[in-house]
Amino acid sequence: MENISTIKSDILKEESFLYVLKNGLKVYFVPKLGFSKKYAIFSTNYGSNDNEFVPIGENEAIKVPEGIAHFLEHKLFEEQEGNIFDEFSKLGSYVNAFTNFNQTAYLFSCTDNFYKNLELLVSFVENPYFTDENVNKEKGIIAQEIKMYEDNPGWKVFFNSLKAMYHYHPVKEDIAGTVESITKIDKETLYKCYNTFYHPTNMILFLVGDIDFEKAIKTIEKNIKNKDLNTQNKIERIYPNEPKEIKNRYIEESLSVSIPLFNIGFKDKDVGFDGNELLEKEIVTNILLDMIFGESTELYKNMYEEGLVNNSFGAQFVASKTYSHSIIGGESSNPKKVLDKVIENINHLNEVGLNKEDFNRIKNKMIGHHIMSFDSLEYIANSFTKYEFQNSSLFDYINILKSINFQDIEKRFKSHFTVDNYILSVINPK
Amino acid sequence: MKRIREKVSEGVYLNVINSDKFKTELISVYFILPLNKQDVTFNTMIPLVLKRGTKDYNNSMEIEKRLEELYGSDLSISVTKKGEKHVLRFSIEGPSENFVESNKIFNNKLDILKSIIYEPLLINNVFKKDYVNQEKRNLKDRISSKINDKQQYAVQRTVEEMFRDEKYSIYKYGYIEDLDKINEVNLYKHYLDLLKRARIEINIVSNLESEQIRKSIKDKFSYNEREEINLEREKVIFNEIKEKIIIDKMDVTQGKLTLGYRTNIPYEDKLYSAFLVGNYILGGGPDSKLFLNVREKHSLAYYVYSRVYKYKSIMLISAGIEFDKFEDALKIIKEQIELMKQGEFDQKSIEQSKKAIITSMKTINDDIFSISEFYLSKVLSNDDKNIEGLIESIREVNKEDIIAAINKIKLDTVYFLKDK
Repeated sequence: MENISTIKSDILKEESFLYVLKNGLKVYFVPKLGFSKKYAIFSTNYGSNDNEFVPIGENEAIKVPEGIAHFLEHKLFEEQEGNIFDEFSKLGSYVNAFTNFNQTAYLFSCTDNFYKNLELLVSFVENPYFTDENVNKEKGIIAQEIKMYEDNPGWKVFFNSLKAMYHYHPVKEDIAGTVESITKIDKETLYKCYNTFYHPTNMILFLVGDIDFEKAIKTIEKNIKNKDLNTQNKIERIYPNEPKEIKNRYIEESLSVSIPLFNIGFKDKDVGFDGNELLEKEIVTNILLDMIFGESTELYKNMYEEGLVNNSFGAQFVASKTYSHSIIGGESSNPKKVLDKVIENINHLNEVGLNKEDFNRIKNKMIGHHIMSFDSLEYIANSFTKYEFQNSSLFDYINILKSINFQDIEKRFKSHFTVDNYILSVINPK
Repeated sequence: MKRIREKVSEGVYLNVINSDKFKTELISVYFILPLNKQDVTFNTMIPLVLKRGTKDYNNSMEIEKRLEELYGSDLSISVTKKGEKHVLRFSIEGPSENFVESNKIFNNKLDILKSIIYEPLLINNVFKKDYVNQEKRNLKDRISSKINDKQQYAVQRTVEEMFRDEKYSIYKYGYIEDLDKINEVNLYKHYLDLLKRARIEINIVSNLESEQIRKSIKDKFSYNEREEINLEREKVIFNEIKEKIIIDKMDVTQGKLTLGYRTNIPYEDKLYSAFLVGNYILGGGPDSKLFLNVREKHSLAYYVYSRVYKYKSIMLISAGIEFDKFEDALKIIKEQIELMKQGEFDQKSIEQSKKAIITSMKTINDDIFSISEFYLSKVLSNDDKNIEGLIESIREVNKEDIIAAINKIKLDTVYFLKDK
């Protein structure tokens, strides 16, 4: 077929294909020969952070209730003829969806009838059906979902840490909203959000598995609405002006847990990157976190032997264009002491410098992990779409990773771990 | 995918599964033991202490550095309960040879795994005291942290109450009060005993030639003086059952309801496949009776599902609900089961459930961990059916068998975790 472009990675021995529909929808494909499972994910660049925007065809920005992107995700499963779950079940496939800060994704995995499943996926995401009654009914279910998370200490300690780091940015709000905010959601606002963000130019359809791509494209073209819609939809999203400084140094809450849980957050002052620059920042910071807090460090060894942390201790960097932060978390009987050790260690490393041997080993490890991750269809699909929405590519990851040198790490260390941009969030036992 | 099973020594078996589909290879060594109260805490301590240090790599930092050199190979341990058996797993997972610049990576991985399992760091011929004490403290935290995950906690409490007088009630990580009895001397003795007596299964999923793998295993792992323990089959048939209700109170936002059923259908029974299909119709997926009635029709829950625990032949139903909806939810769940007993489900549900189960069986071969666990479960249940055979037995299920199977199940325990 014409107009299919290809990217190949010799290191990974993987390939990706892209076909752009007339209406602007990008369809990507990564073949995995010999796998029984086939996986598709239809995703829109719209998540819980997009709470203020100019609706399509209007001029004024509106503010919508927190949790609406997630609410919309729930409601798209409902069709006039009934529930779409049943249609997928008839084919023996598994259908699901998720909403995070930056995207809403609908996915299925199957072994048989891939093209029929694909047809269903495309048509249900493209057919919103909201009534006052079905919108109200969903509020009860989502309220239970919110309450389930309120009993989850890991979730609470994480969101509290975001609330301590950020003053205004919507990343600090729960993805599902609150029991209060969702009561304000109505079908009109849902349609407004849908029409603005579920536009083909704002979406990606990604396929992975032992699939015939040309046949898949034909299936999509036949079932997609707005076939010739060719208008570029530039969505105006409004984010509040977020100060570089943290909001609160310390936040705590009590829940039924056996020992305290903690998150130490480092708010990134250096935001606004996009594309490969953002991807590089993500990789560099993750290498750095492993070099400072990983299992092969003296810091970890000492804290573990002292009984300050256990093997739930870990660190991760989350990167996005409008916000980013590192979170170091775990369980500890004395979270404040852990924070002291962490800061002490950063000060110490500032004096003596980072170790190049550590860098080489960790880089090796990350290369191995990246290669191994290509055994998971879910990982390929989810990270591929994530990076596409950030204007970079999963296939650039390994090249960027290989090109990173010790100086990049040293530079990032100095800018990210400063003495005034960290917070501590603790969940204490009740 | 080709599999070779071979006896290495008395009670030691090697299972090599050959596939060139993956970029990762997996070596798992399982120690299988009878589940009993006096050993369970000791057993759990063994992998925790072993991964702290070996003769060549004195602490976990040294071990981790070595793993990082091996392109981020991951060492993992787990302790699980499969029916009334206690299974300790030591695994190493790392990139396959043709993806990294090393042609010895399989043997390197094998060496470090061998060193962790068989060459522990010893001080005066016993385990290092500090490591034992630190891991005792860690395990204590781990056991007490079972209250952190309320959904899991509700399941664990149901099992505890339901099997009060049976070994199945034993908690897989053991008991805080038994930690006091453990020291570096008796734990080392326990370790030596375990090496001698546990059933050992070595499962390898790799793209390397089976012959090469067999040779490496035989060169590196030597077994002698084996006195294998007899692993007993669980008791799974119970006809006289008195329903009981247990209510716990804790500071929670949402109530957690769990219903424990004895199925009275052992996995060897010809009704077992029919029961799997019946369970799926009831609470397997989003098209199930429970999901449609408890969640979609009455908005009572966000999650509600039913799970089968193969080795002990039980079925547990779980839901997260409002505290004052306990009676309502219980009533709806019981009604749905009653309707199934009377045959109130259609051919469409049967077909959909069969397809869902078959789909998950077909995808076992797409994941190295699932492959390894699948072959372990065949061994544990003395079942020689391959995946195709299992799929066939699901296909053959008919409505009468499902009705017969569901009529065998008996509600034993209703558990509810509510607010204070």
